[in-house]
Amino acid sequence: MTPPEPIAITGMGAISAIGEDVVSNFRSLEQSRHGIGRITRLDTFHHDRLMAGEIGLSDKALYERLAIADHEAYTRSTLLALVAAKEALDMAGFDRHDGYRTGLISATTVGGMDATERYYDDYLSSAEHRHFIPTHPCGYGAEQMARYFGVNDFVTTISTACSSAANAIMLGGRMIRAGLLDRAIVGGADCLSKFTINGFNSLMIYSATHCRPFDGSRDGLNLGEAAAYLVLETAGLAARRPQKPLAYLSGYGNANDAFHQTASSDNGEGAYLAMKSALQVAALHPADIDYINAHGTATPNNDLTEGHALLRIYGSKDALPAFSSTKAFTGHTLAAAGAIEAVFSILALQHQVVFPNLNFSQPIASLDILPQTQLKHQQIDHVLSNSFGFGGNCTALLFSKAHD
Amino acid sequence: MTKPIYIHGSGSISIQPTHEPGYRFEAVKAYAQNPVPACDPDYKSLIPALQLRRMNKSMRMAIFASRLALQEAGKETVDAVITGTGLGCLSDSERFVETVLANEHELLNPTPFIQSTHNMAAAAIALSLGCKGYNMTYVNNASAFASALLDAGIYLAEHPDHTVLLGGVDELGARTPRFWELAGYLKHDNPVIPTPLAASSSPGEIAAEGASFFVASQQPTSQTLGKVIAGDTCYETADAVAFVNRFLRRYGLAAGDIDAVVLGYNGDIRYDAVYSTVGSTLFAALPHIGFKHIFGEYDTVAGAALHLALRLLGQQDIPQQLLLNGIRPRSLRRILIYTQRRGTNHGLILVEKEG
Amino acid sequence: MSELTQELKAKIITQLNLEDLTVDDLDDNTPLFGDGLGLDSIDALELIVMLDKGYGIKLADPKEGRKVFETIQTMADFIEANRK
Repeated sequence: MTPPEPIAITGMGAISAIGEDVVSNFRSLEQSRHGIGRITRLDTFHHDRLMAGEIGLSDKALYERLAIADHEAYTRSTLLALVAAKEALDMAGFDRHDGYRTGLISATTVGGMDATERYYDDYLSSAEHRHFIPTHPCGYGAEQMARYFGVNDFVTTISTACSSAANAIMLGGRMIRAGLLDRAIVGGADCLSKFTINGFNSLMIYSATHCRPFDGSRDGLNLGEAAAYLVLETAGLAARRPQKPLAYLSGYGNANDAFHQTASSDNGEGAYLAMKSALQVAALHPADIDYINAHGTATPNNDLTEGHALLRIYGSKDALPAFSSTKAFTGHTLAAAGAIEAVFSILALQHQVVFPNLNFSQPIASLDILPQTQLKHQQIDHVLSNSFGFGGNCTALLFSKAHD
Repeated sequence: MTKPIYIHGSGSISIQPTHEPGYRFEAVKAYAQNPVPACDPDYKSLIPALQLRRMNKSMRMAIFASRLALQEAGKETVDAVITGTGLGCLSDSERFVETVLANEHELLNPTPFIQSTHNMAAAAIALSLGCKGYNMTYVNNASAFASALLDAGIYLAEHPDHTVLLGGVDELGARTPRFWELAGYLKHDNPVIPTPLAASSSPGEIAAEGASFFVASQQPTSQTLGKVIAGDTCYETADAVAFVNRFLRRYGLAAGDIDAVVLGYNGDIRYDAVYSTVGSTLFAALPHIGFKHIFGEYDTVAGAALHLALRLLGQQDIPQQLLLNGIRPRSLRRILIYTQRRGTNHGLILVEKEG
Repeated sequence: MSELTQELKAKIITQLNLEDLTVDDLDDNTPLFGDGLGLDSIDALELIVMLDKGYGIKLADPKEGRKVFETIQTMADFIEANRK
């Protein structure tokens, strides 16, 4: 089977707890510098009990950086999204008025919940913050982004829990391949909120300390906040510009575990099906993959079932390529995770390096698989990136190196 | 859109008794309130009690409407589930915010948090059908259903022998409608269903809820209710007539090739004018059909419009309460749906009778 | 003891929305999870909240719950042994 023409990635942008742009994210990954600490920005009871990957910039600082007037209502997820998407667009450097159909496909789960939880009672008694009422729906941020960047050909928002941004990237690729768009700005953003911190804490999967992906003693995740966006283009369109693409989106797959609302099935069926289908779309074999950026949330359930799914794909632990979860750096950034990890996957291809899985000391007994714990330079042509969410939503993306 | 998709089953829950077998839109339920909750069917008749106990209204409505669609199509299951929802599981979101604000220092009940996730309806359908295939949820406000429809078209082009379940669902909350009221979205002045349109309009919409689901594939069968030829969306437009015209041209159609237009008038004097402009400029000689005056307004109400259009194609008749301009159709083969909300998220769906 | 099991049954029915069941339908020794009543991991978390709020007993590790919540009887025994 001949693979279809790959989708060119011509721009990327990222902001997370380990950096306010792509370069600083890379430096942190390279130097094993994580961004997890006590919660200082968000007003929560748990600020000194739980740890999270917070971004150091206040909303006010983000308004200033983006030249947004004080009286306008932008919630934090959207502010972060604008920073990351702007970096991606500047890098891609295409003319926005060249007549090609450009879509914006964004992802979020928090949406404007940070404003809603802040003003929930205040809205009723005071008019001061009521201009934030329209920001609540998850789709509002993408509409603000569309206006900010002047994109009107196609605008949508995906919300499938922790696989949201991976699904946004996948839709961008599928729409380009279906001939419906020439170009797509794809990614996701989620800020920290009391809602999500308390939510994961109520599920008793929020670690009291640093999360330990794939470790035998792991006891839950740390949340983080982030935004990341890619610019996808048809390979033909990308070829008209002097710079070569950063990488290619070569495969994608989504499947549903159809097992339980929150827990994954014991053998990781959904994850397995998603990875299989991504490989199929890319016409690649498991052995072609050089690095896997795992979902690896460090919850007991996810890492065990993702490990099982990986072993099913590879047949044995000896056949597994280098893999790591980067969530100990950034925290689990929910709807943004698939996009921030797409950026990390592309960085891995560009710099030919596997990023370490921090805080690992002993393998999960029943799996006995070892993530890459040190930065490792090696040949990398293809990277698989996993993102799995509540509701059994499992997505795998495949990124491939841009050759000269 | 890609290729036409054939709809073999359609199920709908709304503030009208659309879930009742053989409902023909002749008797329309009247309300004098805002917001208006959907008519509850007997959920237990189609959903096992152990599953039902932890389903919020979005999940119940979505599962029930999708079961109706599957029954009509004579299908047990599908290969993919693609949904849209503007606000997701609003009541559980409210419940969890309220719990966090009141008792952050205590152990919290996790169920409302889990159930607040926007993809819970699509997930519940997959779980109840054992469907391990592609599963997606769009949340882009009043275009959420349109995105689901577009994705269904792409998915079926990629998998020509598959069948998908696609749909939209939105539920009302308790606190959120009060916020909408403060934001000026809701109608105060004589909020009634059926909502008076045109001359007697006032500002504001009547908020409602509902779910509409469809079984679709690329192959017509003897069950086929109709086919969706195309759909299109545009976030903002200064010229809706040009938007509709571009769409018709793209599919090689003239206004005269359409038999009736379904227009999204909701009685909000601030935003309804665009329907009169499109209706009178492009489709003056055609029957104009309303739907939001009987369904109310919510983000995925376009799904209810598609359900209505398919039923009208089947019954070949437009009940009096739905006809806005008194023009009777010559025949009913091709219906164009045009809707927007508060001046944004313009959407078109072109549906045709098969055979 | 049987007063406590009756009380637990009523609380479980309300907390877990088992609206089709009455206290009389629940047997002290029916397994709550798996093939018994069919509860799952989310219900287990709800029962942990119930232990905390109703009886002041904290379970830090959800894994502990598996043994405690085996049946109404095991729950009652655990509460009797641990409540202050």
